[in-house]
Amino acid sequence: MNHIVSVSNVSKNYNLGQVVVPALRGVSLDVAEGEFLAIAGPSGSGKTTLLNLVGCVDTPSAGTVTVDGKQTGQLSERDLTRLRLHTIGFIFQSFNLVSVLSVLQNVELPLLLQRALSARERRERVLALLDRVGIREYSKHRPSELSGGQRQRVAIARALVTRPKLVLADEPTANLDSVTGTNILNLMKELNQSEKTTFIFSTHDARVWAYASAVVRLADGQVQDRVSAEEAVRAGGLPTGRPV
Amino acid sequence: MRGYLDTLKVIALIALRNLFASRLKTLIVGGIILFGSLLVVVGTALVDSVDASMSRSVIGSVAGHIQVYSSKSKDELTVMGGMNMESPDLTPIDDFAALRRTLLGVPNVKAVVPMGLSSAIVTAGNTVDVVLERLRDLARRRLAGEDVQAAYESEKDHVRQIIKVLSADMDNVRKIQNEKAISQDDLAAAAKAASEELWAGFDRDPYPALEFLENRIAPLASDADMLFLRYLGTDGDAFAKSFDRMKIVDGTAIPRGQRGFLFSKWVYEQQVKLKTALRLDRINDGISKRSKTIARSEELQRWIKQNVTEVKEIMLQLDGQKTASFRRLLQGELGSQQSDVAKLLSEFFRVDDANFAHRYRFFYDKLAPQLELYRVRVGDMLTIKSFTRSGYVQSVKLRVYGTFVFEGLEDSHIAGELNLMDMVSFRELYGSLTPERAREVQEIKTMAGMKEVSREQAEAELFGKPDLGETAPIGRAGDEAEAVLRSLAGRQQREDRASQPYDPAQLEQGDVLNAAVIVKDPRRISRTIKDIEAAGAKAGIPLRAITWQKASGLVGQFVTMIRAVLYISVLIIFAVALVIINNALVMATLERMPEIGTLRAIGAQRRFLLGMLLVEALAVGVLFGSLGALLGAGIVGVIGAAGIPASNDILYFLFSGPRLHPSLSPANVIISLAIVLAVSAISSIYPGLLAMRVSPRQAMQSDD
Repeated sequence: MNHIVSVSNVSKNYNLGQVVVPALRGVSLDVAEGEFLAIAGPSGSGKTTLLNLVGCVDTPSAGTVTVDGKQTGQLSERDLTRLRLHTIGFIFQSFNLVSVLSVLQNVELPLLLQRALSARERRERVLALLDRVGIREYSKHRPSELSGGQRQRVAIARALVTRPKLVLADEPTANLDSVTGTNILNLMKELNQSEKTTFIFSTHDARVWAYASAVVRLADGQVQDRVSAEEAVRAGGLPTGRPV
Repeated sequence: MRGYLDTLKVIALIALRNLFASRLKTLIVGGIILFGSLLVVVGTALVDSVDASMSRSVIGSVAGHIQVYSSKSKDELTVMGGMNMESPDLTPIDDFAALRRTLLGVPNVKAVVPMGLSSAIVTAGNTVDVVLERLRDLARRRLAGEDVQAAYESEKDHVRQIIKVLSADMDNVRKIQNEKAISQDDLAAAAKAASEELWAGFDRDPYPALEFLENRIAPLASDADMLFLRYLGTDGDAFAKSFDRMKIVDGTAIPRGQRGFLFSKWVYEQQVKLKTALRLDRINDGISKRSKTIARSEELQRWIKQNVTEVKEIMLQLDGQKTASFRRLLQGELGSQQSDVAKLLSEFFRVDDANFAHRYRFFYDKLAPQLELYRVRVGDMLTIKSFTRSGYVQSVKLRVYGTFVFEGLEDSHIAGELNLMDMVSFRELYGSLTPERAREVQEIKTMAGMKEVSREQAEAELFGKPDLGETAPIGRAGDEAEAVLRSLAGRQQREDRASQPYDPAQLEQGDVLNAAVIVKDPRRISRTIKDIEAAGAKAGIPLRAITWQKASGLVGQFVTMIRAVLYISVLIIFAVALVIINNALVMATLERMPEIGTLRAIGAQRRFLLGMLLVEALAVGVLFGSLGALLGAGIVGVIGAAGIPASNDILYFLFSGPRLHPSLSPANVIISLAIVLAVSAISSIYPGLLAMRVSPRQAMQSDD
């Protein structure tokens, strides 16, 4: 099985003035294509840092991160951006839609940045995707006119519109109520299965783990273990034992 | 490629939506830009129009496109706008023909007009002098047996009337001021002139009495104001051809090969015209052209007061017959029984808004025909005395052929202060070595056994010996009266010369102080100036060539000054705009950090963000800049249709006429939009850099 993401002995330090704060310490992790991987851990465990490194918005202080066969530490800023555009889709905790654009325009944006498709092709793909995530009727609305769940659906559509190999979701359900969160997770899982897109999402919501093909548990910037969803649920919580 | 356009579209969409989202800020920034571009359009259109009209004024009157003079000159040349009477000290260029040949050899040169600028104080047209001269002439003819008795008697009456007026005037002065205000000598002279003694023997032997009157009484009439004349010696034909705005008003041009003088109409009106009439004209102008009223304008009231008190000028002109005629006319007009004509005149000139128009007409219809309105008339001989360069007084008597104006600049003091004179007479006054005088110098040299006389010494040699020259040697500090007496000897000869034609070839052969150059293509002036100076150096005539702007002195710099002020204001406005736009965009960038981070995260390159901010700034710039330009164009259109009135003399000259009708050129709008776009672009640089530094991690607002 091919590894879409390969993290090898990665450390990441942040400089806060004089103090060097280690966010990740010697993390190694391989993610196979088509996985639906959850990264679990309490606040400050390094979830987002790991996602940043995998998402090519940051590069490691030590070790290597390989995404789709490319070592991110060796890429220029431009190439990293290109890699994000073509290979990775992002779903953010607070949706991060462009407020002045309509739903359709928000979803179309990555395609415009790619400059690969004609206007008609773009439109067809965007509308099909909106249909798929169930908000086609809102295509002309502005994000501010939508509910949280609807907004996250737009965000998912935006992340998937370029047909990326990898989708990163940072606490995708954190700002949603549980029913909506479940719907979103169902949708993501469905897309994972139908499109064979690899999903990596960070969460400290134990209910989410049930959807994952595997759960990587982080603590203090280190990988605690990698368990199946069932094990994780059975463990009843985070490696530190803190209930969610 | 197709993708680019769509990307641009989405950039524009985001940018415009952002602008709309912060409407107030956009409006403030836009307002400043609108005002700035409006100012640029209106300002540059106005300055360009003034520039164009002023260049028409300057180029079309005296300066030509380029002025050329010797680079050895001490001073810089200015042909107009000289606020003082001093003419610049220029080194003459000896051979005009060679100069002309050299200049015409330069590709862009179309015509060359020889010139020389100088000034003189001319005491012309003292009423008493004129009357006495007429009397002298009549007395001579009467003694010679001609039948001029009636005219002679009338003129004699006139002289006695003048003496009466002058005596009364002196009495007045003594009453108003004090006993010592008039010298005893003058009082004695006046008493002698009025005495029967003087007049008893007059018919038999008038000459001693006439001489006494000429020497002692004429100077008492203070209307013998001096004329300050700035004149331009030139080749009349070449001048008229090259400066086609010049039009003869009275009389004729100076015929080719004749010596002569042309008054500028402006000088003729301002200096030569009867002061009372001039003031009436000014009052009339004030009322009809500048919509003033006597009741409200202190200026008009002052002129009226001067007319009321200064009737002597007219009184001196009235002989017995005219006095009676004036008395009858004024009594009728005023319905008065007053018999004193001076008092009647005073009463007549005490005008108000109600009766001014009628009295003005009455003055010109009934009174003026009996007066000499101008102290020097067309056809008169004018004696011009001037200091030559080496300090001698040289005088030339010239026929006044007429008056001229520069069309469109009739009322401009700046364009109107130069009178014209033939070049040959100019050279004499200036002290150049004309062929005639070269001959005379040669004679002197022969007599004195000298070998060589340099240019600088030529005059001293010529006039240094009173018994030889036609003019007496008088230094700068010389006594004027003495000068007049001594020069009497040469008078007859000079008059002869004044009527002598000269060979037009002389125009070419002699020296000139400067020359006006008319070019074929005015856009290549600076190039042509270089060519001229190079050609001069090559021909051994060291030349300095200057543009008409420079040649016109302060006036020429005026537009440059206005332009500088305009550009500085524009600079300030756009500097402010720059800071404000920059600030607004920085704020917008900071507010939108997460959004910008998101765009970066999902794959937007940095230049996409830069483009977004640029489009934002440019959109505001283009929209409001165009609005401002449009509004400015409208304003220029309205002003252009109505015209800006020239409220004073300098504006009249700058506007090249009574009104400036500014017009819009595409350049005005293009410059305005270019500035706006540049400012917009520049102001988005810093926020652009800021946006580029936003990390895509900004999108990840996790609690990590």
